[in-house]
Amino acid sequence: MQVKYLDLPRQFFGVNRRPEFDALFGAAQFILGPQVEEFEKRFAALHRVPYAVGVGSGTDALIIALKILGIGPGDEVITAPNSFIASAGAAVAVGARPTFADVAADYNIDPRKLEAAITPRTKAIIPVHLTGNPARMDAIMPIARKHNLAVVEDACQAVGASLDGKMVGSFGIGCFSLHPLKNLNVCGDGGMITTASSEVCEAAKLLRNHGLVNRNESAVFGLCSRLDTVQAQIGLFGLDALDGITAARIAHARLYDELLAPLAPHIVLPPRAPDAVQVFHTYVVQAERRDALMAFLADHGVETKIHYPIPIHLHKAAAHLGHKAGSFPVAEEQARRIVTLPVNQYVTDEQVRYVAATIAQFYHC
Amino acid sequence: MKVPFSYLSRQFANIKPYLAAITRLVRSGDFTLGYPVPAFEKNIRRITGARYCIGVNSGTDALILSLKAAGVGPGDEVITAANTFYATAGAIAAVGARPVFVDVNDSFLMDPALTEKAVTKKTRAIMPVHYMGLPADMRAFLDIAKRNKLIVIEDSCQALGASINGKSVGTFGLAGAFSFHPLKNLNVWGDAGAIVTNNAALAERLCKLRNHGLVHRDEIEFFGVNSRLDSLQAAVGNVLVRHFPEINRRKHVNAERYNAAFARLYPRVRLPRIDRGLVHSYHLYMLYAEKRDALLKFLIARGVEAKIHYPLPLHLQKASRVYGYKRGDFPVCEDQVRHYITLPVHQHLTNREVGFVIDSVAAFYGKGRAGACR
Repeated sequence: MQVKYLDLPRQFFGVNRRPEFDALFGAAQFILGPQVEEFEKRFAALHRVPYAVGVGSGTDALIIALKILGIGPGDEVITAPNSFIASAGAAVAVGARPTFADVAADYNIDPRKLEAAITPRTKAIIPVHLTGNPARMDAIMPIARKHNLAVVEDACQAVGASLDGKMVGSFGIGCFSLHPLKNLNVCGDGGMITTASSEVCEAAKLLRNHGLVNRNESAVFGLCSRLDTVQAQIGLFGLDALDGITAARIAHARLYDELLAPLAPHIVLPPRAPDAVQVFHTYVVQAERRDALMAFLADHGVETKIHYPIPIHLHKAAAHLGHKAGSFPVAEEQARRIVTLPVNQYVTDEQVRYVAATIAQFYHC
Repeated sequence: MKVPFSYLSRQFANIKPYLAAITRLVRSGDFTLGYPVPAFEKNIRRITGARYCIGVNSGTDALILSLKAAGVGPGDEVITAANTFYATAGAIAAVGARPVFVDVNDSFLMDPALTEKAVTKKTRAIMPVHYMGLPADMRAFLDIAKRNKLIVIEDSCQALGASINGKSVGTFGLAGAFSFHPLKNLNVWGDAGAIVTNNAALAERLCKLRNHGLVHRDEIEFFGVNSRLDSLQAAVGNVLVRHFPEINRRKHVNAERYNAAFARLYPRVRLPRIDRGLVHSYHLYMLYAEKRDALLKFLIARGVEAKIHYPLPLHLQKASRVYGYKRGDFPVCEDQVRHYITLPVHQHLTNREVGFVIDSVAAFYGKGRAGACR
């Protein structure tokens, strides 16, 4: 049996033949057309915040959020060492220094290790809702308040996730990605900023569009990071389908959990917090002899990935930050053991069972 | 008669070939740096003659990434024109450097002599702007750069197709930035840009810089940004590029008709000086006009959608306040912005529409039908 990691052609086939596109091309408002605003409104409603601002990518969402907060050279920003590199890259892009706090068994920043990472130069925390699982914002927000730090949520993998009923992206400034591999995806790069603050919303709208207050006046030199109208239209289609996508991913994850739990200690599942709604952008477990398992699965037609094999602080790019192997032992240990199984909405229960059975076969369970 | 400035609904009236290209892309699912991107980059290399082309998310990003890749950053000064689009200065500010403006000349372009005077110990780069699509004096700028050991990055965002003695703009300096914004000569359905260069090391760095610094999926060499030309936009560009020679030809035909007619309205209307050997892209067709505001009103009342690019120069924008510029710093530019007017020159104008624009301008100055000798 073949189990593909993802199936983009299946998702998007025929998208360009939908009648909504005729209207879009007729109006030819390719830059910040009405579809962008409509998408922003619906995205804000989904995350129960008053404002959402469409930008060029999830990375740009982080960069713009940091710029709005005035973070730049001389400042430090704490994030998770096991995230996609853009979480730290955004800090570097604004001239700040990324620092890290090690993660917990749920792959997210360990709040107990957060305070030790705070220095007098720390200006913000970027908790990452990795895999679509909300970081422990209930513990992180009080620490941020105590130390007067801004919070920028890297929710790039977590559209629709929530903690104790509160949506991700509504704790601090929320940064989302609409990259093709994401649960809510477009046919290219796209991103979204969510906020409860009208000032942050206005600042984001300025920064994404050259600082323009109108066609002829620039209040601040900004960037060019607009969500394309075409992509916003595709995002609107995606929003219609999102509940189904999320539900399918959650159902697959539950089935995996049930089938893989008996394989302990060969397979270790992350804890599933009862107050969290995880949206399973990725389904990640820790596995003994991970590389051999992946090869075995590949031989059996199952496509797996690693998110991510090298922690950020051990990349060549991070050499100047002065970390070394051992600096963040939990993240490093996980990086050697994690494997991502196919969990996309097109996977069937039968395929999930096949993947689990193949893993069991590998461990002779 | 209505003569619209925007022509996008005319241009994409037949979207079938574009949708076919997108259908193919969607079937592949290759949305991130997929196959249309290298094909588009090859098209731009062919048009410009540059050795390398790197597709990025916008013309602004093309400028930002060029500066970053060239190592320009905090503490550095970058000299550019006072009359350009915000993004030129915005890109300089975005990398933490300081934009230093200079006045323009009777071509509406950055003045080389004044540029040399603006060089300080902190100057790292000069960013000539091929404003409107008219090439800046690259020979002079390259000389200045050489004498002062400066990097040259060309803001060619309005100038694809423009050249100096047969050599494309964007290929004179270390890097050239192009934009494919919907209003540009070669345009796509959203934001898109590209950088051209003949420097292999810079090209390699830019390829990583636009994609998080990734060497491959799992390893980064340095922290980069996310500024990839969308495959979807590249697919649109690859269809449109077939029409690019015709777009240029039509714009030139229209512009030359304007030039001949408006030369007769001198000195009430003055054309920017275009030196021999220069090929204008006519992204914008701009004039220096007496009683500009009244002319603009008159034209708009007659249905001619004229514009001003741009009424407030960069140094007088609120965004520039931190740099301490004031009114009077760049008198030529400040005078020009009160007299500039931009007329529709796009490829979808009919001969009748071009004639109507000419007649309207002539009528405003009491000349009756332009072209009639008086």
